[in-house]
Amino acid sequence: MRISAAVAIIALSACSGANNASTAKNTTTTTTTAVTAAPSPAPAGRVVKIGIDLPLSGGDASVGISTEQGALLAIAQMQKSVPRGYTLQGEALDDSVQGVHNPEQGVSNVRSFISDSAVLAVVGPYNSNVARAEIPVTNAAGMAQIGPSVVADNLTIGPDAQQLRRANPSLNTFFRVCTTDSRQGSALAQFARSLGFKHAYIIDDNETYGLDLADRFEKDFTADGGTVLARDHLAKNTQDFKSLLLKVLAAKPDIVFFGGVTSTGGGLIRKQMFSVGLGKTAYMGGDGLADLATVAAAQADGSYYTLAAPDATRLPSAQAFVKAYRAKYNSDIGPYSANAYAAAQVAADAIIRAIGKSGAVPSRAAVVARVASTKLDTPIGPISFDKYGDVTNPVLSLYGFKNGQPYFIRQIQLKL
Amino acid sequence: MHEFLAQLINGISLGGIYALIALGYTMVYGIIGLINFAHGDVYTLGSFFALTILTALGVSGELHGVALVVDVAIALIGAALLCGIAGVLIERLAYRRLRNAPRLAPLITAIGVSFILENVMQIWKGPSPVPFPAVVPNPSVMIAGVAVGAQQMLVVGLAVVMMVALQLFIHNTRLGRAMRATAQDRDAAQLMGININKTIMLTFLIGSALAGVAGFVSGVYYQSTWFFNGFGAGLKAFTAAVLGGIGNIGGAMLGGFLIGIIESFATWKFGGQWSNVTVFAILILVLVFRPSGLLGEAVFDRA
Repeated sequence: MRISAAVAIIALSACSGANNASTAKNTTTTTTTAVTAAPSPAPAGRVVKIGIDLPLSGGDASVGISTEQGALLAIAQMQKSVPRGYTLQGEALDDSVQGVHNPEQGVSNVRSFISDSAVLAVVGPYNSNVARAEIPVTNAAGMAQIGPSVVADNLTIGPDAQQLRRANPSLNTFFRVCTTDSRQGSALAQFARSLGFKHAYIIDDNETYGLDLADRFEKDFTADGGTVLARDHLAKNTQDFKSLLLKVLAAKPDIVFFGGVTSTGGGLIRKQMFSVGLGKTAYMGGDGLADLATVAAAQADGSYYTLAAPDATRLPSAQAFVKAYRAKYNSDIGPYSANAYAAAQVAADAIIRAIGKSGAVPSRAAVVARVASTKLDTPIGPISFDKYGDVTNPVLSLYGFKNGQPYFIRQIQLKL
Repeated sequence: MHEFLAQLINGISLGGIYALIALGYTMVYGIIGLINFAHGDVYTLGSFFALTILTALGVSGELHGVALVVDVAIALIGAALLCGIAGVLIERLAYRRLRNAPRLAPLITAIGVSFILENVMQIWKGPSPVPFPAVVPNPSVMIAGVAVGAQQMLVVGLAVVMMVALQLFIHNTRLGRAMRATAQDRDAAQLMGININKTIMLTFLIGSALAGVAGFVSGVYYQSTWFFNGFGAGLKAFTAAVLGGIGNIGGAMLGGFLIGIIESFATWKFGGQWSNVTVFAILILVLVFRPSGLLGEAVFDRA
């Protein structure tokens, strides 16, 4: 029996190891979908590609796929502006392993884009921890990368961001069309205070995104006169949050703030709040809770979230995009479809400008320089970047839930 | 004191689910020395079967009276039966030919089966968590000032009933005796005229049916299921089986409840991110001092 126990433990570690390796392989071979954006079946002349890295399976697929579709639509529509003799293609890879976005898989996807000389820019990833792993790789390769939704602060600003750019410290290759966690956290804190909430209990999922968001909310909520009763972090791979919520119940908060996404516990926490008697307490989080209702259904009511983007369905500038998306995919846009469209549009526009009049295939460095100098009208408004790669006019939207459906509350333009 | 009791009751309910899953791990290990890593996914499969049956019955909310008893019984027995059949098929297709192969071969096969099940379930019900109807009403009884819900009592009650029934079956029936004999010495049992293949099939049938029961109960208790749940829950239940003494049925039960309670208290006292650390630290400590687990007996060495 002594030996059996040892075998058991080895088996345990073998399990998680084998786990990653085999699915990683599986996802790259089966879900690689090169989508030809050209109207003609056979690509004519020289092919230039935009790589797309997003979580397309597992718990994040509900938002990942609508994001991918936004990017692919932009690539298809930009095709007509591409100089003669060129074909623009989008190539999407899945960074989920075993149902969850995975930084190692993201890096491996980005490496495969880099090794393909036709790929001139990358759109993605969806998740901040994946971005943290990928940025050093794209930076070292001098490949432009444009994030549609990655909102962690330290991807662009501060010593952490410098560290990500260590291979090419003077070159910034990472840009994003969304705003940042701290701006979401600030907006949420202001909003919570304006609704009269005083006592917050903060939970986060211990990932880059969730920690940043919760940190900023904690800071601003306190500065604004609110009280943070306690802060807690979640364990991975569990479906039982009741013990944590019993602790929350005892603290008597009037709002529970969650830093994280629906798939890392945000959905089940809301559901289980009802079973411990916290059903009437408000619940709030960032854009990670945009798909809360897929798990919590009508129990999502009484919850609030932000998107680090304007509401495309409400923007006059986005109506054509919304219509085209519905026509092509026969469904409504997802929370970050418009952002992904804008990100792919920025990438395509930079590639087109880099090809320019000379007609020669541009270098990746030329594309990076063109992305940095972007001045483009997109469905989510005019986009240009500051020297860190952040947008110069951050706009956020606030949402609540009614009958299990999200509804728009208002838009916030943050002053910089 | 109030919160202590609330956490204790929560831990016991959580432990009930772990215990039900742990029974299957421990039975299969006891009889063929295989750590059946696909077992956690059979548990998820149970909740998927139960959900499908309830949907087919047209159940979408709380039930009362006769409908409650009938529909719950159909879903529970249906999920258990289908999981039992799935378990038997898994044994027949994936493990039987490898019964005399080196130990690592069936272990890796088990991990492979686990992936297959997870991916099939992901295709079946989609990549996101799926809502499970709140079939069982949840009136609560106050015990020392703490509300104990009917669903919690259902979880614990079912776990205890299942374990008692299993013990009685194993110790008081011919088939149970055959299982014990096979566990002790497969070749000798065969020489005594026991049909080994049938006995092992039966073990998988019962173990997987119990996982099916756990799957149904977890659906009722959490009102949600997800194709990937079995990975985390299976790991904890396996830990429970090892903690209690793998191969020992009472041990699996004890281990399950202990892990549930430890997890609950660790979350309460040290915070959520420390719950897994605490569970596994205690497991290591126990194994250092009692390598065969709390109730494990060093009767024979399988490895």
